[in-house]
Amino acid sequence: MKKLRRSIFQMVVLLALIASALAVKVGEPAPGFDSVDSNGKPQKLSAYRGKYVVLEWHNQGCPYTKKHYESGNMQRLQKEWTGKGVVWLTVISSSPGAQGFVTPTQENEYLKQMKASPTAVLMDPGGSLGRLYDAKTTPHMFIIDPNGTLVYNGAIDDHPTSDQSDIAGSKNYVSAALQEALAGKPITDPATRPYGCSVKYGKF
Amino acid sequence: MKPELPAPAGLMRHQTGTGAIVYRFVVSLLILLAGCCAVPAQPVQAKHAKVELLSHQPPAHPGKGLLLGVHFVLEPGWHIYWINPGDSGQPPVFKWQLPAGFSAGEILWPRPNRMQSSPQMADYGYHDDVLLMVPVHASQAQSSNAPMEVGLEAKWLICREVCIADHAQLHLSLPLPAAPVAKENPASAELFARTEKLLPKPLPHGWKANAESKKDSFVLHIFTHAGERLGQAEFFPLDPGQVDNAARQDLQLSAQGVKITLKKSDFLTKPIAVLRGVLVLPGGDAYRIEAPVTKSIQ
Repeated sequence: MKKLRRSIFQMVVLLALIASALAVKVGEPAPGFDSVDSNGKPQKLSAYRGKYVVLEWHNQGCPYTKKHYESGNMQRLQKEWTGKGVVWLTVISSSPGAQGFVTPTQENEYLKQMKASPTAVLMDPGGSLGRLYDAKTTPHMFIIDPNGTLVYNGAIDDHPTSDQSDIAGSKNYVSAALQEALAGKPITDPATRPYGCSVKYGKF
Repeated sequence: MKPELPAPAGLMRHQTGTGAIVYRFVVSLLILLAGCCAVPAQPVQAKHAKVELLSHQPPAHPGKGLLLGVHFVLEPGWHIYWINPGDSGQPPVFKWQLPAGFSAGEILWPRPNRMQSSPQMADYGYHDDVLLMVPVHASQAQSSNAPMEVGLEAKWLICREVCIADHAQLHLSLPLPAAPVAKENPASAELFARTEKLLPKPLPHGWKANAESKKDSFVLHIFTHAGERLGQAEFFPLDPGQVDNAARQDLQLSAQGVKITLKKSDFLTKPIAVLRGVLVLPGGDAYRIEAPVTKSIQ
């Protein structure tokens, strides 16, 4: 009996490992998470059932993140979509000592200085949330629908450069996907290749 | 026959009166300068890299193109990117300023290196040093006796753990082919020759490539002519977002060649007709692959 229990346990661990190695796929349930934000408040994905949730991987020192913050583009998106009831979670997965790692206080100062208004900023210095979603770059954007299904995974827009001047002529995939989803239409580009700096995960 | 080169467009306008004298003076000065110390321009010191615009050799015949190259010498640990940067990064972009009648072609990308930073992430690019060669075509027969002035605005991303977007304005004055010093600098000749060996070649005669599209993978078949062994071959996808860059490539040797299973990218949502890329063999030989994709019958 004990032996059986042990082998069941081993199997569960193995399955969990396999599941975590599989990347999140558009059309499939978005993996749940239990994180903490820059104000020390717990943030659970399940708490936002019934709403669209945007995840934005962030690194304030990365030239591609700077492109969208120093131009005000990301702040505009945050304001527009949170104003329409969408939950916007910025995620920082830089490990301590790596570029983009900030303390909660530093992050809150940055938000104020940049006039950024995400719903919350999730602090992920261990990188577990980043690895769970297989977040590759900053920025890397995900959209989860009110049923908890992943409906978008990819780039912020179609110009993979760090030039602010490219923003005006870009198609913003996040806005396009949210517009279509909110209008009950299928999303034209549900998965695109994200671009930017690599997420600065620590070593295992 | 005396080979000739075009004048910079701006100088052609002043050919009368005092303008002509100034023009002749400027041209003589340029020729003098070209004659004394032309070919290698000074490298530009950029962030964690030295960047220099080089010419393979002055065009031997008017109307013929030439081969230019941008040489990046990177500080240890820093890298720049291939045309497909992989999971992060961005390839360099060149904007040329060439005399009328000349046009720059695409960058001839040497075979890339895989840079895997974690089990989830792999980039493709270059460290230490790389020469990005660009052919320049002459659309018409040029005739002039002034040196050719070439300008380049280069933009690139350089990364170690962190990334820096950088740029430089580079310049090169090519001497007249007839000038006694119009010989190529031996170091730069060696660099161009070495880089040419790093360019992917077409598949050897009799070799063939095709690919099967399965649910989660592409199976790339390379059929060699006489069953040459291709152990440890590695495939670099040319188009971003088709193949999972970080996934292990499963390689199986067969009597006809080799079969490489490549995990599909999560960002691939539409079928592709051709799988393009570069196959790098252990000895360093690199081949261009354009494998027509068929849907697997299963």
